[in-house]
Amino acid sequence: QEHKFRLHHFLGAQAPAQTRMLEPWAEAVEENSGGQVEIEIFPSMTLGGRPQELVSQARDGVVDLVWTLNGYTPGLFPRTEVFELPTVYMNDPVATNLAMHDMFEEHLAEDFRGLEVMFLHVHAGQGIQMANKEVRSPEDLAGTSLRIPTRTGAWAIEALGANPVAMPVPELPQSLSKGVVDGAFIPWEIIPALSVQEQTDYQIEGADRTRFGTSTFQVSMNQARWDSLPEDIQQAFRDASGRDWVAEMGRVWREVDDFGIKVATDAGNEHITLTEDETAAFMDRLAPVVERWTEDVSGKGIDGTALVETARGMIEQNAAQ
Amino acid sequence: MNLAGEERRAGITGAVDRLVTAWALFGGLVLLAVIAVNLAAVIGAMVGRSFPGDFELTEMGVAVAVFAFLPYCQIRDANVTADIFTAGAGPRLLAALRALAALVAAGFAAILLWRMSAGMTDQRDYGYATTILQLPIWYAFVPVLVSLALLAAAALVTLTNALRVMRGPRHG
Amino acid sequence: MADPITLGLAALVLLVVLIAIRMPIGYAMIIVGAGGIALVNGPTLLLSQLKTLAYGQFSVYDLSVVPMFILMGELAVVAGLSQALFRGANAWLGWMRGGTAMAAIAGCAGFGAVCGSSLATASTMGKVALPELKRYNYSGALATGSLAAGGVLGILIPPSVVLIIYAIIVEANIVTMFAAALLPGILAVLLFLATIAIYVAIWPAAGPKGGAADRAEFRAATLGLLPVIGIFGLVLGGIYGGLFNPTPAAAVGVVLVWVYGALRGRVRLATMKTALLATAATTGMIYLILFGAELMKIFMSRIGLPQQAAAWIAESGLAPMMVMVLILLALIALGCLMDSLSMILLVIPFFWPMLMELNGGLYQGAEGSGFGMATDDLKIWFGILALIVVELGLITPPVGMNVFVISALARDTPMIETFKGVLPFFLAEILRVALLLGFPALTLWLPDMLGG
Ligand code: NA
Ligand code: NA
Repeated sequence: QEHKFRLHHFLGAQAPAQTRMLEPWAEAVEENSGGQVEIEIFPSMTLGGRPQELVSQARDGVVDLVWTLNGYTPGLFPRTEVFELPTVYMNDPVATNLAMHDMFEEHLAEDFRGLEVMFLHVHAGQGIQMANKEVRSPEDLAGTSLRIPTRTGAWAIEALGANPVAMPVPELPQSLSKGVVDGAFIPWEIIPALSVQEQTDYQIEGADRTRFGTSTFQVSMNQARWDSLPEDIQQAFRDASGRDWVAEMGRVWREVDDFGIKVATDAGNEHITLTEDETAAFMDRLAPVVERWTEDVSGKGIDGTALVETARGMIEQNAAQ
Repeated sequence: MNLAGEERRAGITGAVDRLVTAWALFGGLVLLAVIAVNLAAVIGAMVGRSFPGDFELTEMGVAVAVFAFLPYCQIRDANVTADIFTAGAGPRLLAALRALAALVAAGFAAILLWRMSAGMTDQRDYGYATTILQLPIWYAFVPVLVSLALLAAAALVTLTNALRVMRGPRHG
Repeated sequence: MADPITLGLAALVLLVVLIAIRMPIGYAMIIVGAGGIALVNGPTLLLSQLKTLAYGQFSVYDLSVVPMFILMGELAVVAGLSQALFRGANAWLGWMRGGTAMAAIAGCAGFGAVCGSSLATASTMGKVALPELKRYNYSGALATGSLAAGGVLGILIPPSVVLIIYAIIVEANIVTMFAAALLPGILAVLLFLATIAIYVAIWPAAGPKGGAADRAEFRAATLGLLPVIGIFGLVLGGIYGGLFNPTPAAAVGVVLVWVYGALRGRVRLATMKTALLATAATTGMIYLILFGAELMKIFMSRIGLPQQAAAWIAESGLAPMMVMVLILLALIALGCLMDSLSMILLVIPFFWPMLMELNGGLYQGAEGSGFGMATDDLKIWFGILALIVVELGLITPPVGMNVFVISALARDTPMIETFKGVLPFFLAEILRVALLLGFPALTLWLPDMLGG
């Protein structure tokens, strides 16, 4: 191979993120390039550092490619963050991935100085997973402690009257079983990996699979490395990361999420789907998160209100197709 | 193989020694502050109130404390070595080996000081911050850089001491 | 470029040479790791990574228990608490030949029940027990060997930092892993005690009887255990009973020991200063090594050594059980050079997926599986076995971290004596691995009970 790339990420080699996304993507790029490209995947931070450092590693060329959770570096990707917001992200990972793809050049690209983004995606959305407290209204969450994934997740939890606790995901099962936290704000997809069904009784989501925001992820290349590539190689990467691909990833993450909730219900957990009215009560309480975010990013010279509107419009437009 | 206390305390060497010790105690106080935060979080949890940001304060605080410990570790010769192969070596050879180790420590401190200064600039320019309290990470880099400068100074002190033993005849 | 095996061997030789000329272990690892990365991928890449690597490594949340438990141990020393623990164990065990060393093992086990770090356990109990062992005229080999070996109980008995890291990598449940480690941990204590009994039966002069405690001493020493049991009970009870995670538990432990020492008039400003400075020296040393290990890990990943080894084994067509044994042997061999945490971080990401495939995949049940157990169980079983063999690396030459820590405390005992003294315990550990390999139920029974 003429072009070798190292792709670094924070999950295990058997995680669906590697087996169902990064490996097929790498294979597609390799195939598109007629075998000129080889992408070697390094899981579990084997090339050193902590997950928080992945972005710097890509920027500085310590590795060629990374897959990372944008929330690990809070505030670094303010524009892209719009898609994490509850009431912006509702229930459609496919449409949201497509919206990010369509909005990228005009609205999001500035977030990624020093990086060449291959593609962005979301997971199926934050659900509420409770150890032993049934939750059907925001009032049920008052005073509880919930583990959060990102800063927007922390804001959502505060808006619901609960206490956000930031902790590494692997601490979660222990913390749930010991009552250090009462629940967590995470997608169903995490359930099989951490056996969350053993520490929880309730999985709660809104009507029509409405979630309480999501997390955004990126696969990005070092900018200088990208710029040095011949056009046909660049095209091999582009062709593997287009609209079809991100839509497919929306379906994959949904599928993985569905498997997670199946594991929980098979274990006897109660999967609560809120009624339309109950869902609306949550969304009312969550609406101020959008304002809080708008205010925060205005400090960085970003018109948050316009961005929220555009994002909602693009998601809707893509969902309709 | 430590040098006598009086010898170490003389002049600039003694000043570095006192500074490094004081800085390690500063690190100890930061560690105690981290412990206080965790205690507050535990007590808070008992009465149903969470302590926002206890995890990130712990991470930052411990990192700052550990860096502050490194110069003290160097000046007290606390880094572990294996003495199997050189058990029979004479004092001058041992001093030469100690000088080599001190040189490596000084080089390490200097390189890390240089690189982490650049790291601090990155952290500040890109706006890296903690999740809940949104504390800028570069704040933590400031005491870390002081620690690395002191590590370099401590390594130079151990280097001069070792060189003195190598050259001069040993006194009791 | 040379192939991974050649490069790996060259790095190994250089590491041994540097260590042989008294380069501090941490710096030796930093030189080899950083030099290796610069050599194979260029200095620019290394210099870029150094901008954040050390800060990232030193701010790992799971590691934050390390300085706290070290401080707790140092406070316990100035407060006389570790002495109380050791004196109590000694009153019960000291009358036997080798009993004081057994008390040191029991003390390590007690300490390991709240401390997740092997090095912290070795150094803390070493500080307390070494002077006593010396007072009773124990041979340097048995005294330092028992303590270096006893230190591994810090990892083997939950909570355990290494086990937490393993659970993170294979995405296992941490509570389950802790439950699985409990019986094997108790087995380790029993085998270590038996090892000392056999050792002093063969060499009686190595471990003289401490003399039976009279009734008054026995009662006083046992009563002296109560505050210790109280403090450790609160810390442990807090972790297992749902009050807190290990890090806040360590914070609570520090404060409780502080209060205990203050009440006894032993912890004052001056002794606090002593404890903090001792914590600084030990913590700085450990973190420097962790940083060196991180650089070595990066270098080895970059030359593809772990991948190469994994590929070899996978292609060999060997039976699953044979592969398991080979992996464990490889970990023991690698343990001669590296610390346990870095080893887990370095090779598990490559070995685990391979074992999983041999078993039949992530969701394989016991029926028709390669190892005769569900993959969920294999994850637990392999984790405990891996934990034990990587911990063996702490007591094998040339890089045996526990031996170094104890040697640093007992500067009058040559390191070679410590390595000799630790050998019988190494054999006991090999026996334990064989038992756990032969009878997976020893590991899986307790988590099954708790889970089902
Ligand atoms: Na332990
Ligand atoms: Na070893």
